[in-house]
Amino acid sequence: MHEMSVALEVCRIAEERLGREALPSLRAVGLEVGDDAGVELSSLSFCLETLLGAPPFAGATPLIERRAGDVLRVSYLEIDDGRPDN
Amino acid sequence: MAVRTIEVRERVMARNDELAAGVRERLARAGVPAFNLISSPGAGKTALLERTLADLGGALRLAVVTGDVQTQNDADRLARHTDRLVQAVVTNGACHLDALQVSTALDAVDLDATDLLFIENVGNLVCPASWDLGEDEKIALLSVTEGEDKPVKYPKAFRQASVLVLTKLDLIPYVPFSVERAVRYALAVNPDLQVLFTSTILPEGLEEWYGFLRARLRRRRAA
Repeated sequence: MHEMSVALEVCRIAEERLGREALPSLRAVGLEVGDDAGVELSSLSFCLETLLGAPPFAGATPLIERRAGDVLRVSYLEIDDGRPDN
Repeated sequence: MAVRTIEVRERVMARNDELAAGVRERLARAGVPAFNLISSPGAGKTALLERTLADLGGALRLAVVTGDVQTQNDADRLARHTDRLVQAVVTNGACHLDALQVSTALDAVDLDATDLLFIENVGNLVCPASWDLGEDEKIALLSVTEGEDKPVKYPKAFRQASVLVLTKLDLIPYVPFSVERAVRYALAVNPDLQVLFTSTILPEGLEEWYGFLRARLRRRRAA
């Protein structure tokens, strides 16, 4: 139910960290979600996939790790900085 | 391609909680106790506030912020019982109020000329439990036309609340609702819940509720 609000807030945090221009390079968003956080995981995943699949994002993947307790936080962002591997 | 990982470790609710802390500080500075009313749709939040405004609005300066997904119907209903502004927040689909909406709504309320603030949340027992609005206490309502097991079905709402208001007790003769079982379920999820029994129809039906509000006011004024 309120998973869309949570997903929008995750996107806002990503934008705040990276700046709007860097959002297309976002590849993954790592989240920790507690069992008592009041969040339905599949619904949150669905909302995030939808938001991260549309501009200014370019298809980043939400990577959700379940935790005990009521933690609900963005743990990391993965970006492709465009440089070759070596 | 080179993938870089950036540590974030930021709580998703951090911004809401920051705004809620701001609301809480404004209310504390003005000495206004604030209650966030949470229940399923139809439990009687608006009816309780209608009677409260009508009965106590003469002696106390009561402010109300209402939240609804659509329409300002609740605010319009309440406005008939008070000369003061009733602030309506239309969430446009969102299933709960957030601290930014409440903070913005309070900009139009003269808190220094307010004794008590009620925030009538969107009717929903799930999502409002996760959002701090800066209130002093969450108050959960449960009507006797619902299932007695609502507290165990939606434990977070009842765990977050400090008070449970059982509503529509005038209907008890007509519904298969066990007050005893409902209270038992509620205390099972939150042993500290204070339970108030109310009816907006019966004479004296809101005495416990008014007693609670007056006690909270005395406590705030003594602080």
